[in-house]
Amino acid sequence: MNAQFPDPQVHEIEDPLLRVRDLAIDYGTNTVFGSKAKRVVEGVSFDIGRGETLGLVGESGSGKSTTGRAILRLLPVADGVVEVEGVDISSYGKRTPLGYRKQVQAVFQDPSMSLNPRQPVSYALTAALARHGIGDRRERDRLTREAFDQVGLQRAHLERYPTELSGGQQQRVAIARALVLKPKLVVCDEAVSALDLSTQSQIINLLADLQQETGMSYLFIAHDLGIVRHISDRIAVMRSGHLVELADSDRLFDQPHHPYTKRLLSATPADRPEGREERRHTRRAYAEAHAAGQVPMP
Amino acid sequence: MLKLIGSRLLLVVPQLIIVSSLVFLMVYLMPGSPAAAILGEAGSNPEAIARVERELGLDQPFFVRLGSWFGAALTGDLGNSLISGRPVADQILMRLPATLSLVGGGLLVAMIIGISLGVLAGTHARTGIDRGVTAFSSLMQAIPEFWLGLILIIVFVNGLGIAPVVAWVPPEINLAAWAGGLVLPSLALGAGASALIARQTRTAVAEALSSKYADTLTAAGVPRGRIIWVYALKNAMVPVLASSALAVSILIGTSLVMERVFGFPGIGTLLINSVAGKDFSVVQGAVLFVAIIIIIVNLVVDILYGVLNPKARPQ
Amino acid sequence: MSQTAPPKTQFLSVPAEAESKTSVGSRAVRRFFRQPTAVLALAWVAIVAIAAVFAPFLAPFDPLQTNYTPEGVLQGPNAEHWLGTDDAGRDVLSRIIFGARIALMVGLGSVTVAMLIGVPIGLLLGYRGGWYDRIGTRFIDIFDALPGMLVAFAVIAILGRELYAIVFAVGAIFIMNFARMARAITLAERGKLYVDAAKVSGITERAIIFRQILPNLIGPLVIQGAILTGAAIIIESMLSFVGIGLQSSVPSWGGLLGLAAAQIGVQPFLAIPPGVVIVLTVLSFNLVGDGINDTLAGDKRKRIKPVRRVRSERAPLAPVAPAAPFPAADQAGAAAVAAPSAAPAGAAPRLEIRGLHVGLSTPSGQTPLVRDVSLTIGRGEIVGLLGESGSGKSMLARAILGLLPPGIGISGGSIRLDGEDIAGLGEKDLRDIRGVRLAAVFQDPMASLSPVHTIGKQVMEPLRVHFKMNKKQAQERAVELLTRVGVAHAETRLKDYPHQFSGGMAQRVAIAIALASKPDIIIADEATSALDVTTQAQVLDLLLDLRDELGLSILLITHGLGVAAEACDRVAVMYAGEIVEVAEVGELFEAPKHPYTAALLSANPTRSDAGDKLPTIPGVVPLAGQWPVGCHFASRCQFAIDACTVAAIPMVDGSRCIRTTELTLEVAQ
Repeated sequence: MNAQFPDPQVHEIEDPLLRVRDLAIDYGTNTVFGSKAKRVVEGVSFDIGRGETLGLVGESGSGKSTTGRAILRLLPVADGVVEVEGVDISSYGKRTPLGYRKQVQAVFQDPSMSLNPRQPVSYALTAALARHGIGDRRERDRLTREAFDQVGLQRAHLERYPTELSGGQQQRVAIARALVLKPKLVVCDEAVSALDLSTQSQIINLLADLQQETGMSYLFIAHDLGIVRHISDRIAVMRSGHLVELADSDRLFDQPHHPYTKRLLSATPADRPEGREERRHTRRAYAEAHAAGQVPMP
Repeated sequence: MLKLIGSRLLLVVPQLIIVSSLVFLMVYLMPGSPAAAILGEAGSNPEAIARVERELGLDQPFFVRLGSWFGAALTGDLGNSLISGRPVADQILMRLPATLSLVGGGLLVAMIIGISLGVLAGTHARTGIDRGVTAFSSLMQAIPEFWLGLILIIVFVNGLGIAPVVAWVPPEINLAAWAGGLVLPSLALGAGASALIARQTRTAVAEALSSKYADTLTAAGVPRGRIIWVYALKNAMVPVLASSALAVSILIGTSLVMERVFGFPGIGTLLINSVAGKDFSVVQGAVLFVAIIIIIVNLVVDILYGVLNPKARPQ
Repeated sequence: MSQTAPPKTQFLSVPAEAESKTSVGSRAVRRFFRQPTAVLALAWVAIVAIAAVFAPFLAPFDPLQTNYTPEGVLQGPNAEHWLGTDDAGRDVLSRIIFGARIALMVGLGSVTVAMLIGVPIGLLLGYRGGWYDRIGTRFIDIFDALPGMLVAFAVIAILGRELYAIVFAVGAIFIMNFARMARAITLAERGKLYVDAAKVSGITERAIIFRQILPNLIGPLVIQGAILTGAAIIIESMLSFVGIGLQSSVPSWGGLLGLAAAQIGVQPFLAIPPGVVIVLTVLSFNLVGDGINDTLAGDKRKRIKPVRRVRSERAPLAPVAPAAPFPAADQAGAAAVAAPSAAPAGAAPRLEIRGLHVGLSTPSGQTPLVRDVSLTIGRGEIVGLLGESGSGKSMLARAILGLLPPGIGISGGSIRLDGEDIAGLGEKDLRDIRGVRLAAVFQDPMASLSPVHTIGKQVMEPLRVHFKMNKKQAQERAVELLTRVGVAHAETRLKDYPHQFSGGMAQRVAIAIALASKPDIIIADEATSALDVTTQAQVLDLLLDLRDELGLSILLITHGLGVAAEACDRVAVMYAGEIVEVAEVGELFEAPKHPYTAALLSANPTRSDAGDKLPTIPGVVPLAGQWPVGCHFASRCQFAIDACTVAAIPMVDGSRCIRTTELTLEVAQ
């Protein structure tokens, strides 16, 4: 990271739900002579408040999904602090307590991949409930139906297999699976990226409605700035494993501070033709400036 | 290139150690004492057995015996036959040409038939030709090679009399007779493996032709023939080559039996006789020898794989 | 088997409503029994099984009863001994019937042994990964390299020639096979999102392996099991044949062949019956395995009927009848062409598609995938084709390029390139068109380049084909092209392979290949969709620059509103196989005429204030084959009236909606 643009100030929040400080994550590559660790995320700090949505944006390889997976404890934390409700998750060691699993849930990108093709879709919910010792069989079935109602699915969908549902319906199941455990934080990792535009808006509305009903917080990871702006209270921008800017959504879009954020915004198609010649001009000027070595980034 | 060969050679060393240990362990586990096999009639006398075992070093602990086996094997000394007393290595080397000729012939047949049928079916995917090739390869995979050998003998030698009497003739004696004698055995041996190769080639070629890069080249106006023979085939050969080590291994295994059908004096015959006669040192030597041949074949395939597939080259 | 995704054929695999009411299991069984060869094979396996179980009742003679009289031995087939007798005068038919017992016991027994040992090893290696996996896989490789026969010899040498020893010897050959398979599948499944999702739910590792991963293994295991049962029968026969299998008195198929080999000069017939029985049995096990495979995965080799264009539907050369619906569709377009592009007034459009229909041939007739599409692209014009997945936009692109997958074809209409109809031309005629006049860039840049050839070779290929350049000339031109599309240090990069390029750079190389033969028009099928935003902007800018510089016409196929808005002169919106609206880009984004366009624009989150509810379109896109009569969008449209669903809606004044003139559509700005 270049020294000109130090990592952004952490917006300290009082009594945050999630507190991340100086998070570092390594990818181990094993060779004949032992494992070599490559640092893919470093010095990432942010808070998420209760009922808040924090957008996490960046291009591929920026480390945004990696950060999400570390919070979900699907990847080990190499260094730093990740606290949920004031408890540092690195204190858990190898096993993850069920209590943590109940608090932090996830919705992943590809809905067809995030459901087991060999099982009826309701299995994912009843299995999770059973594992957490919630209710007896009848109670679990009731809770599952309730969650299906909440995400706008019908009873008839309970016994379907993933391939028998559309992409949007599959993603609703995935949301129901997260919802049924009544989590406090849901990590949405590109949760709407694989969906068509018309389905996307349905799912975004659903996520917003559910947040209002339950007061959960979202860590909303996505590469699409338009969606992130719509759904997030605050947005963090990542690049090459570092957080480059964190700000309120409007501020970030209207007055981006970091050059990379500016560049990202200018590259994002504006979804309307007006002013496109100017935008093209800006991009060209940028490319020329870059070629002349005046801009510090590729 | 040198880096590629070097890195692959490094992997061969542990393979050789493991395989030869396994071979040693196998003989170690065999029931009955080799001493009894040597002594024959006199093998009922425990004192005689103990004496012979001492002479052979069989009373030593396992690891001492393993060590001396390694030491000897490294210098090419595989011991002597318990029955004939002749050096095992000599016996194997004497029988090597017949086995290698048979396997080589089978491999040639398998490759030629397999790749041409596979390309034919792959380029005509989902047509009658494709189904025909599939049916043919299904049938070929179901026919035991040794039975095919018997049928070929019945039809061509006994029945029609058009083929020469099949027999092993060393190439240094009469090259034409050597080649002629190899035709039927190679056909019989290669048929099954050709079905395997045909299936794989078919899938790989069909996949390559329906790939995005084939689309890109087609859209750029590159003729289909060039796409098939230059682009699809080279891509298709990557998975085919990867599995050809398996095909060779199957060929070698089958050739051990095929020798019997055509009366070839190869390693297979030696091995089968030794298993039946409990000639442990010959079994040990022959198994090790075949395993080494396979390791060498794998090495060659591995290197070719690296040549073909740039992603498999060491960085 | 990894397979590159075929062009979206989602509609092929979705079961019809009626079918989804029955259970998945019974559907699979029914699908299996619809395959005649698989059923025949299963019948033969059943016959062999019955012969094995009831051998004492079915066999005409005691298989061990000898008859050493000169007339008794080596008889050919006769009324008493249907298949003759062997060298000890034993009845061959009876020995074959009893031999079925050995064949099945060794076949099924050895496969069971191999599965019981191999599958847990594979599961462990695949799920644990890391060092377990690396060392374990090395071992599997070494074991697997040993010929099966050698392993069997060794095991028999240790354990002897009893039945259990043979079962174990043959099973030992397959252990690594199952281990390798279980490992590969587990490894693939373990990386899938549903395993992560289960972990996040708190499900334990063991439950994930047994409840989530194992079910995915069952199909492949059954298939492999069936095929290896056949292989085991062959191996057992080989062992008996060379005389180190079961004792020779035990009636086994291979043992019979061993005797036959010795008597081949005297009684060749002896070799026929056991061999035929082995072949039939092994073939049947293989075919049953293939049948299960096809049931689970769909038959990838099924013959496909080609789609033929209906000749009478070939569009007339010029719009003769003013009442014809399609010329009207393009009036807006034709007017717009003149404005933004520098095309000389009155020149024929570069590409003109009229009333194009594309269909998929199915056993029950033809399913339309693209319906009545008319579109023109002017010289130097960039036309966007905007649509969600399943809209048929990529099928349209492939139809233009003559790259439709097997079974899908142009069933009507015309595609005129500079006035010449190229719809459904053969390979030979297309050769002079593709590359030289018409080229394409596809979505996934990495897949668009052959991984085992250098990029230099691939860029030079069209140059050598079309311009007959020698190597040196082609090399120089390739460097020029690569430099033009923004590949730095082109001379040195010619020798590089695609995996050494980033996605954006690989897409630039693909564009260089498309540009090599100086085409007039480029079809860019989601060419920027897989790229990051900053890279996407660069590639879009490159296309815009090339248009300005070379006067290229571009058909830009995309699902992104932003891409369409940023780069296109005109935009056609596709929905469920039809173009529903064509308009100049500013007009389309500001004042859409078709309710679908309006709804699509409104659903875009950038058009709504943060926190507001997004306008949505209820329901889902109807799949091909389930399109309604009349307007395809009617069921999701808030303005639909009864008249919308009566008959096909024609394209009028750039919109395929009967209420265009009466509706005022509002789009959030």
